[in-house]
Amino acid sequence: MLKPIAKENWNFTTAAHLLNRAGFGGTPAEIEHSVRLGPERAVSQLVDYEKIPDHDSNPKWAKPDPTRADRYMEARKADPETRRKLQQEEQRKQRQRAVELKFWWLERMAKGPRPLQEKMTLFWHGHFATSTEKVKDAYLMWLQNDLFRRQATGNWLKLLIAVAKDPAMLVWLDQAQSRKEHPNENFAREVMELFTLGEGRYTEKDVSEAARALTGWNYDRLNQEFAHRPRLHDAGEKTFLGRTGNLSGEDVLAQIVAQPQAARFITAKLWNFFAGEEPSDALVTALADVFRRSDNNFKPLLTTMFLSQEFYVSSVIRNQVKSPVQWLVGSVRVLERELPPPIVCFGLTRNLGQDLFAPPNVKGWDGGMTWITTNNLLARYNEAALLVQGDTSMMKGASFGPKAKANMQLQNRLQNLKLKPVALTKILTEEERKDKVKLVSALEKRLLQAKLTEKQEKALHAYLDGQSSLDDITILNAIRLMMSTPEYQLT
Amino acid sequence: MNTDPSLKTRREFLRTTMLGSALSWTVPAFLANTFSALQANAADSATQVATGQDSTILVILQMAGGNDGLNTVVPFANDHYHRARPKLGLSAKEVLKLNDGLGLHESLAGFKELYDGGNLAVIQGIGYPNPNRSHFRSTEIWQTASDSERFEKYGWLGRYFDNACPGADPTVGVNIGRQMPQAFAAKTPKGISLENPEGYRFISSDSNRQGGMSTSEESYRKMNEREEGMMAEAGSDGNSGGSIGSISGGIVHSGSPLDFLERTALDAQVSSDKIRAISKRVDNQASYPQGQLANSLKLVARLIGGGLPTRVYYVSQGGYDTHTNQANTQQRLLKELGDSVKAFTDDLRVQGNLPRVLVMTFSEFGRRVAENANSGTDHGAAAPMFIVGSKVKAGLFGQYPSLAPTDLVNGDMKYNVDFRSVYAGILEGWLKTSSAPVLGRQFPPLICV
Repeated sequence: MLKPIAKENWNFTTAAHLLNRAGFGGTPAEIEHSVRLGPERAVSQLVDYEKIPDHDSNPKWAKPDPTRADRYMEARKADPETRRKLQQEEQRKQRQRAVELKFWWLERMAKGPRPLQEKMTLFWHGHFATSTEKVKDAYLMWLQNDLFRRQATGNWLKLLIAVAKDPAMLVWLDQAQSRKEHPNENFAREVMELFTLGEGRYTEKDVSEAARALTGWNYDRLNQEFAHRPRLHDAGEKTFLGRTGNLSGEDVLAQIVAQPQAARFITAKLWNFFAGEEPSDALVTALADVFRRSDNNFKPLLTTMFLSQEFYVSSVIRNQVKSPVQWLVGSVRVLERELPPPIVCFGLTRNLGQDLFAPPNVKGWDGGMTWITTNNLLARYNEAALLVQGDTSMMKGASFGPKAKANMQLQNRLQNLKLKPVALTKILTEEERKDKVKLVSALEKRLLQAKLTEKQEKALHAYLDGQSSLDDITILNAIRLMMSTPEYQLT
Repeated sequence: MNTDPSLKTRREFLRTTMLGSALSWTVPAFLANTFSALQANAADSATQVATGQDSTILVILQMAGGNDGLNTVVPFANDHYHRARPKLGLSAKEVLKLNDGLGLHESLAGFKELYDGGNLAVIQGIGYPNPNRSHFRSTEIWQTASDSERFEKYGWLGRYFDNACPGADPTVGVNIGRQMPQAFAAKTPKGISLENPEGYRFISSDSNRQGGMSTSEESYRKMNEREEGMMAEAGSDGNSGGSIGSISGGIVHSGSPLDFLERTALDAQVSSDKIRAISKRVDNQASYPQGQLANSLKLVARLIGGGLPTRVYYVSQGGYDTHTNQANTQQRLLKELGDSVKAFTDDLRVQGNLPRVLVMTFSEFGRRVAENANSGTDHGAAAPMFIVGSKVKAGLFGQYPSLAPTDLVNGDMKYNVDFRSVYAGILEGWLKTSSAPVLGRQFPPLICV
């Protein structure tokens, strides 16, 4: 199990697969480059990303806001009318920042020099799914995102401790409300059920004991940071997963990670995320073994996974439904175009069912085939026209949220937006733009890294043959058509 | 087992007859109507669904956010109520009385009319054991009909589709919205989601240019057709396991993501044509208020009137999470609710379809008995449900939970009817199917139809 992929199997298809899954896809030139590097160096370039400098700056508001607490107090003291106004103003500001934050992250995915770091950040966001809908503070959401990024491929226990003390998480799962007298069990339960062990791997007693041990870990609203408050901590004896003593929060998390199931749980979930399938029991055993032998560090595990034969079998390649984020970022990458403006990106992803920083619940997005409904599939087909042809009228009738007024405003802004179409000279040679056969196969290579079915190819050629000339409008339509297929929704 | 042969027959009928398949969505509406009428005259059961006059229909209306049941069906004569609600409490004058002790919130005039007309059942004190106060989790519990401690993969309506509607048309379940509600999640996915008929289609960019023999829409259709021979598999249980979805080889095994995508693409294409055609067959014949809920119900009414073979529609209204300044918000939402549903029933009555339609409302939880310091209420537990239709046994069902402080659990009312008993009653009494396979076990059905 987990033997490295043989050199002779390293080709355009397998290299493209690596770039698709460990990142957000590559252009034909990037894929060819990975082919030339060979599997070890191609994987190392993705996994050992610290060697690659990262210059991107953070959103300008991504720092604690010392006036926030004052504003909050001011609002509390004000008369109801003023209070409501102040609250609305604050909410509007946070919503605006959330839109900026979503775009800031999408830009990192689309253009950043460290695709695996962003992909793992996305994994952790889905795993420790926290929503701005409850946290309502864009800075805290950014802070959590930054934590996921910094520790994207680090140590399991270190990450868990950092997440347990993360302000957004403290608010999200009510640890901020937990006191010695009334331990809140929300985080204590989810950390085992959803983050580390899975249901049925602990008792209700373990939940309440963990909640006691975690008391004292609180949130300091004034400084927007973690607060350790020993006076709120229950210092009595606890018994948790077989260990007895005056356990602290750290002890509880260490005891969780010491369970063999903890390694199996997270490695299986990572395999599912990257390979797009449930791993067999034997594969989980092998993956967990690699993980534990490297002291629960993720980097060696990821290297093993991305080099393994199992990762490149035909049932894995091009058999994963793209998440909406993968669809959007991957599309702008292969089309070699800019991301649309922040507000459009927000609309596009939300419309497809993946609003970043707003997962539906603490379980995160279910992913896989649940991304696809009849409505969302047609929405992908129509959004493709926006990306390819810059046609914002495609979004007519799309909804950006439950609030009719906000929705209308966004719709109006969209109607007035002019987006550029894809620059065909960038992605197609002159020869490819003149010869229909070459055009279709160049597009297949770029967009699908595979061939359409014969029937689809025939239909596409029939379309091209039906046009008076092979001009830009025709070619853009052909690109949009190729993206409007079941096949394009897979990676 | 397929307990509704007319659906399947209809589908086969459409596939196998020239006129039938031509009828499906290309013939002008008046011709289609004439054809349907002729067939109905001939008493051909196969066309019953097309005329929209036979099987029963369930409309689920989700009130998202946790509606304050206490100020919806108001125990206005109860002292405990007024002590717990010094600011928000409603007096006898501020309610529409159902009896000496209970009244509807005054903005529910639409519901009061339905109640007086014998078309509304109020089920009191609905909940479930060990109530969860998380929006997400409690919504999930309602959607999957699970016990509070269990996670179920499939929704209760999805399990209904799996159990009672195999081989049915994908439009057997229609959700008005973008994301499929978890209630529709099924082993063999069925049901479609749409936000509005205009956007629910492949929007061609050809209008931008002059001339051109072939349109991109035609090509889209061809590129989204399944390979020959695939059609037969649609609707079969797609779980072959260990399948390989290889694109270059063109081999598609059912159960693979590609297979699922191809099916959905086909469902989208067919239902998009169908829905655009059907939604134009009849006009709305009642005056609806403004708002998203009314718009959703208007669409549902047109789809019912146009004869879409749907058993379950799903609509939702959000905004009930009233932690602060509840009075105004709830007033507005309940007015929208009552007026929209009333208009919907008026519309269906004109169509002659009201006897076939049942509306069921639910919200993930009620709210705390005591109001909070911000003139609002926090997440609670038990709450009432409404069942609307001309076949409904109108009146009050269940018992109002006690508001005596000693009877409250953590400040919440204790439920006395499990919501799954309501589901069981609807499944058995309205959708005419056994409830135990859908709900996992037998709940005593609460029969109100």
